Amino acid sequence: MKTMAIVVRDDGYDKLLTPLAFAYFASAEGVQVDMLFVNWAVLALTEDGARALKVDGVHADKDAWVRARVAAAGLPNDINELLKALKQTGNVNFYACSLAANIFGVDKENIIPEATDIVGAAWFVNDKAAKADHSQYF
Amino acid sequence: MDKMKSNMTLDTSGKCCPMPMVETNNAIRKLNSGEVLEIVATDPGTKMDIPSWCDRTGNQLLFSSENDNVFRYFIAKS
Repeated sequence: MKTMAIVVRDDGYDKLLTPLAFAYFASAEGVQVDMLFVNWAVLALTEDGARALKVDGVHADKDAWVRARVAAAGLPNDINELLKALKQTGNVNFYACSLAANIFGVDKENIIPEATDIVGAAWFVNDKAAKADHSQYF
Repeated sequence: MDKMKSNMTLDTSGKCCPMPMVETNNAIRKLNSGEVLEIVATDPGTKMDIPSWCDRTGNQLLFSSENDNVFRYFIAKS
């Protein structure tokens, strides 16, 4: 596998861990990983949005416990720090979906420098996901 | 085999996927071809991850062991 495309929709802190972990081990191995953040997940590409992420749903009361376990596993337990670690592999591109960015208020002013660009979903699906060796949707 | 020599030891004890594989990739880059990396791990996921990674990358798994939930791998860099 040389390329991997990942679409991330869910923005719960715990729900972001899996796509980011998959991207981390693949990029560390030299796989080019392209990630598109859609819907509420686009806010993870802002410092304030990443900071506000919580474990949600029926596990909401386990937020502190999950973060402690993530740190114990050796991962940065702050989403922004985790995005930076992925970027440092040199093999990951983070893209914000332009529709989601428009709806949820992400723009060139508040998007993190680790993000590559704000892009149309059609471009990502056709030029990244459809051409990737492996695609995942979260 | 316990006296197998390595050029570098990577201790990932306590860490879980993806970190053992992330750190293994980083460590192997620091070695020259033919040199040996010893990996110590407690994540049982490494039992499948390490051999699979060796198959994909061409690095050679020389030896592996499990003792009291501690896994040790010796890998020769391709």
